[in-house]
Amino acid sequence: MYLRTVARYIRRSPYQAVAAILIMGLTFLTVSVFAIITILSIRIIDYFESRPQISVFFEPETPQEKIESARQQIEATGKTSEIKFISQEEALVIYREFNKDEPLLVELVSADILPPSLDVKADVVTDLPELAQIAQESEGVDRVIFQQDIVDTLSQWTNAFRQVGLFIIFVLTVVSIFVILTIIGIKITIRRGEIEIMKLIGASDWFIRTPFILEGVFYSVFGALIGWGVSYAALMTFGQAGLQAYFSGVPILIEPVHMLIVLGIEVIAAILLGAFASFLAVLRYLK
Amino acid sequence: MIRFQNVSKTYYNSKALDNLSFHVEQGKLVLLVGPTGSGKTTIFRLIIRDLDPTEGEISIGEIDVHKLHKSKIRHLRRKVGVVFQDLKLLFDRTVVENVMLPLEFSGVSEKEARKRAEEVLSEVGLSKKIEHFPLQLSGGERQRVAIARALVFNPEVILADEPTGNLDLNTSMQIFELLERINQRGTTIFMATHNDHIIDKSGYRVLHIENGFLKSDKKSTQKEAKKNEDPEKGVEKNDAGKSEKKVDLESLKQK
Repeated sequence: MYLRTVARYIRRSPYQAVAAILIMGLTFLTVSVFAIITILSIRIIDYFESRPQISVFFEPETPQEKIESARQQIEATGKTSEIKFISQEEALVIYREFNKDEPLLVELVSADILPPSLDVKADVVTDLPELAQIAQESEGVDRVIFQQDIVDTLSQWTNAFRQVGLFIIFVLTVVSIFVILTIIGIKITIRRGEIEIMKLIGASDWFIRTPFILEGVFYSVFGALIGWGVSYAALMTFGQAGLQAYFSGVPILIEPVHMLIVLGIEVIAAILLGAFASFLAVLRYLK
Repeated sequence: MIRFQNVSKTYYNSKALDNLSFHVEQGKLVLLVGPTGSGKTTIFRLIIRDLDPTEGEISIGEIDVHKLHKSKIRHLRRKVGVVFQDLKLLFDRTVVENVMLPLEFSGVSEKEARKRAEEVLSEVGLSKKIEHFPLQLSGGERQRVAIARALVFNPEVILADEPTGNLDLNTSMQIFELLERINQRGTTIFMATHNDHIIDKSGYRVLHIENGFLKSDKKSTQKEAKKNEDPEKGVEKNDAGKSEKKVDLESLKQK
């Protein structure tokens, strides 16, 4: 019964309905884009965090005892979660895998010119500098590479991006609330006569209010579906392939399940947003 | 049934009703007449608590209308059928949807509401136009829709504010005869009218209002007397002629 009333209200002023849906669509398109970027950044950071955090490269001829000694010194700190020895042969396998598309490079390199190494993971990222320092001072060590800088830089970018995104989403959410409030307010004003009739023949306040609240929820949810759909279509059509080419080797594929989770969250947010905005309108215009 | 006791109503500085007292007995048809602006519509609005009196008491049965809690006003309005002067039909709804509307408020299922609305529309002679919109109907037909909507709750009392206004004499008489038929089943009818033909020929009790005062109260005539002899007074009959229990205003007191 309420849904039929809502459909009637929407049919009677289609341009207002389109305006409301487009504004909500824009808001949720922005939310979806930032959600996609957030998922991507999380996957990229996860990737780098899952890589060896410190790579300790030894001179190619370093005896195994010295490597073992360095390993024990690092392990003795009690701040590592994993230490893995990569022999020269294993290094060659990795090298070949990494350069499999360039046979010339693969042919030119043999195991004896590649350095043996230790891949070290810390329990806590903040301990990385200390572990790197100990590794650097060990005998036979050629160089130490640790990825905290990459992760830190990525995290900083991501955080800054998220803050900008949250600010834009906040502004658009406020705009959306005002747009729904105004449109529902106009609709209530247009139907003042009808509302008066309903009251005179015994309608309860909630019988009159409910269709207006549902109408606001409809605009919001429909806008969310449009925003999500456009962002997903754009990602699948233009984004995914380009991103994979750019971040070669980094697994950044966004699975459909991630997008369904985004959709679920957006629909819940849309219901709350639409209900809140139209409820404000009802309180304001239907005293 | 309907009792006004020293009721006054002032709009800003203008007195619309002045110390008005009268009583409409249960099961009667009473006409309310008077020139435009004499206070007829104000009386109806006071009865359904669309307005509050400045002074005095108004009751329907045992219910003191103006002591009803605000949340119960809607229950009162569902139990008093009103035919408004300007009809107050919803023009974007079909005839049957207009009539169903009050039932929907009170939680009757759509199927049942439609069934009941179709019954009432058949009663007022509109069974073939239930899917029309009000703008597709003649003035008299719209008036019947308004009456059907007032009847749909099977109320004890119907207030009809100039239901024959703007209608030709023939249609006016048809509408009045319809209200008479409803009254003959025991429903109290309180009807405002300007129609001299109805006033002169009906023979019912007439309350004459002028400038907010009760100018005259003509007592019952031949028709009223005949009606008072009806042994089934106060009992309604449905289309099949079976007696039906009427809506009890007492329930308002208990809620």
